[in-house]
Amino acid sequence: MYGKGLLKGLGITLKHTFEKDITIQYPEEMPFLQERFRGCLSFDFGKCIACGLCTKACPNNVLSFETVKEEGAKKKKLLNYTIDLQYCLFCNLCVEVCPTNTLYFTHSFELTKFKREDIKIVYHRPPELDLLPEEKETGNLEVQVEMPDITEAEAKRLKQLEAMKTALGKNPQKVLSKVLDTEEDIAIMANLMASDEKKLFKMAELMLGDREKARKIAQAFVNKEKKDRQQEGGE
Amino acid sequence: MEHWFLNIAHWLTSWLVSLGLAPVWAEVILLVGQWTCIVGIITLNVLVLIWLERKVAGFMQQRLGPNRLGPYGFFQTIADTLKLLTKEDIIPSQTDKLIFKIAPMFFIIVSVMLYAVLPMGQDMAVVNLNVGLFYFISVGSLSTICLLMAGWGSNNKWSLLGAMRSVAQMISYEIPLAFSLLGVVMISGSLNLSDIVQAQHNLWFILLQPVAFITFFIAATAELNRGPFDMPEAEQELTAGAFTEYSGMRWALFFLAEYTNLVAVSALAATLFLGGWQGPFLPSWLWIILKTYLIMMVFMWLKWTFPRIRMDHLMSLSWKVLIPISLVNIVLTGAGIEIFRWMGW
Amino acid sequence: MFTTDIYTINIGPQHPSTHGGLHVEALMDGEVVKDAIVHLGYVHRSMEKIAESRTYTQFIPYTSRLDYLATHLPTLGYVQAVEKLMGVEVPERAEYIRVILGELSRIASHMLFVGSLAIDLGATTGLIYCLRDRERIMDMFEMSSGQRLLASYMRIGGVIQDLPEEFFPAVDRFLNDLHGMIEEYNGLITGNEILQARCKGIGILSPEEAIAYGVTGPNLRASGVLYDLRKADPYGIYERFEFEIPTGQHGDCLDRLIVRIKEIEQSGYIIRQALKKMPTGEVRGKVPKLLKPEKGKEVYHRIESAKGELGFYLVSDGTEKPFRVHVRAPSFVNLMILPLISRGGKLQDIIANIATLDPVLGESDR
Repeated sequence: MYGKGLLKGLGITLKHTFEKDITIQYPEEMPFLQERFRGCLSFDFGKCIACGLCTKACPNNVLSFETVKEEGAKKKKLLNYTIDLQYCLFCNLCVEVCPTNTLYFTHSFELTKFKREDIKIVYHRPPELDLLPEEKETGNLEVQVEMPDITEAEAKRLKQLEAMKTALGKNPQKVLSKVLDTEEDIAIMANLMASDEKKLFKMAELMLGDREKARKIAQAFVNKEKKDRQQEGGE
Repeated sequence: MEHWFLNIAHWLTSWLVSLGLAPVWAEVILLVGQWTCIVGIITLNVLVLIWLERKVAGFMQQRLGPNRLGPYGFFQTIADTLKLLTKEDIIPSQTDKLIFKIAPMFFIIVSVMLYAVLPMGQDMAVVNLNVGLFYFISVGSLSTICLLMAGWGSNNKWSLLGAMRSVAQMISYEIPLAFSLLGVVMISGSLNLSDIVQAQHNLWFILLQPVAFITFFIAATAELNRGPFDMPEAEQELTAGAFTEYSGMRWALFFLAEYTNLVAVSALAATLFLGGWQGPFLPSWLWIILKTYLIMMVFMWLKWTFPRIRMDHLMSLSWKVLIPISLVNIVLTGAGIEIFRWMGW
Repeated sequence: MFTTDIYTINIGPQHPSTHGGLHVEALMDGEVVKDAIVHLGYVHRSMEKIAESRTYTQFIPYTSRLDYLATHLPTLGYVQAVEKLMGVEVPERAEYIRVILGELSRIASHMLFVGSLAIDLGATTGLIYCLRDRERIMDMFEMSSGQRLLASYMRIGGVIQDLPEEFFPAVDRFLNDLHGMIEEYNGLITGNEILQARCKGIGILSPEEAIAYGVTGPNLRASGVLYDLRKADPYGIYERFEFEIPTGQHGDCLDRLIVRIKEIEQSGYIIRQALKKMPTGEVRGKVPKLLKPEKGKEVYHRIESAKGELGFYLVSDGTEKPFRVHVRAPSFVNLMILPLISRGGKLQDIIANIATLDPVLGESDR
């Protein structure tokens, strides 16, 4: 009968009217990203051996870097590394070709920028890479500088460390609640970390390792701070 | 509750008379007040309606619809209106300026005029005209000329195509629209809308005249230029049809007028077929609002489900299907009335 | 006697239903189309020239951008053309992965076709339902390659990496629901009398004309010509699968819609078979780092893409970059029949014709 199809269509839309909506309300509700999601192309400075395979693989000349070769040195020294993200095709060719897993895709997909200059991501040589071995041993910096020939396990650990650092920086209460008991202590520790980056790095490292040790050291930090405050109050 | 608005009107007139004003002038002032109220209610109602339409469309498409501004996105249309009000008034240089400018104003005036005869409750018609239905149909058909003005004045081929389509369509659908209403008029024996409502005291006319209701509904959809008969706009074909060159508040006036027409025609359908303001428990003006909204929901449901019909199919639907059906309906109604009279009802 | 003027109306390049930068110049007599002239080139990105300055591998991501609605298929065509040129062996598992993803792309493309036809004819809700279902395929592409739309997942000699664990249950769920989705499209879109009235007998393309114009793909099959490269000239491992080739009878818009909906179903069958037969093993064959084909060697490879016969013609000059790449774009050839099938119809039929020819302007303009 003529009109049957029309009624069926009306039925379908009516059925869906009372179904659950499928909208993901984006800024409040983040979309679920798959593990392999190709977000922003990122670069790990310490790992790069300046072999130039990535720049050759790139179809669109997105990647470029500058090196110097110092006298007597065997290897070229990487000065800076530029990812001109506006030309990136997100094709994965550079990531595939990199021998040291220096390049990787993060899950951050909010790549819009307000200024044109900000689109270019430039990585400058971090100063700690140029420290002499002795300086490193004296440990004025908590982070061990990785040589290019690091093993995979170490690389993984480093990544975790980075993640922990950001977590501690952004949401210290949540992380610290795993090792500290009272809220007062947590607040004190969070304050300490906010004022002193070294302590934050130390905590991040400790959190990854032995939890008991982390608990003890964190408690020690807090106790010391409490004492200091009491003294100040006393004076 | 039932007589709130009537009491206000009575109180206003008696107060004005007590001030020493001639009763005629009091009536005039009351009329002005009524019109102001109608225009205000229409404008506010359109804001609600646009929000409702977007919400309904959203739910139908498993989306949320507007939900950012205010509770459930209720203030979205207000924000949109403010945006349209503050937009630059662009009049393309090659247009027929006068016609281009007055077309939206005419359209909205014609739409508001429709409300004069609609009984929005017991004894709540602005003008209790004894040829109310006739007035409604004749004023309603004036909107054709406004669309033609918009299309012609824009000096744009898309606009003109949209306008020509709308003229052809609306003139063709006037006939089945009027014919389908004839059955109702024949049964009630009056063109006065209030009388027609009274005549449905025992039985709604949708049960006596189901065929007329369906033909009326289809013809009304076409009259209102709503999907699946939205030929004059036909976004996917004519970009925006007759309104292509309009922007800002002028465009918003067209939009406003279309929704005003929608409310008016839905209210007419409720009045003629669903018993108007009659109903138990609730006050009469609430009943007519409920029935109007129910019919408008059906309009929205149709619009968001169906594809657009083709122009020539549209015309043949009117001339080859709806007009014969409504004619047959008139004949049958007349025969039925005679038979019942003969039987002595 | 009275005569009417013929006037020109420009549909596009900025128009809601031209699917991108397409410009159709329609000569009209009232609402009747006297002639239509297709102007192309608004999305020209000089893909073929770009290929000459890229190595064989580097051109892969660009191929994704040809037919971006069925992203894996053009990539597959190009990669297989290079493999033919180089004589590269592809591991079994990679071949199966290619079939699965290729057919998923076809389904995604056809779903969007159904939706876009619905919205071009004015049924907005049909589009949303199709997009909702296509989204699940996009999620699967994201699982496998990390990209939703422009995956560039194929590589010369295989694919980037093996499919992840979670891909298989997802594709299984999708195939189970596929029948319900098709039912819904048939209920809301195909079965709708208004849509049928607008599509039946509109834009009729006879089989002779279709062959004469070089039309391929679902548009050709809708005219009743049983020609599918997956059967006529099997590439990859397509001869191992059993499936039917749906054909139409009249070659009108409705047939073009129905053929595509049936093809969605057939692609589902192919994916099921591929999942069942899929062996384990490597997904990327041994390929030299630098691809340098013999000088003067040339190859033409064609596949059945979602839009029709997609061919890649490669000429090597002995360096790592191709001397010439030509893309035989099905959308381009299919669009050329638009004047033929639109003549004598109504203005609204042009919209239906464009929608059912299913052009992707990125592919036709290259």
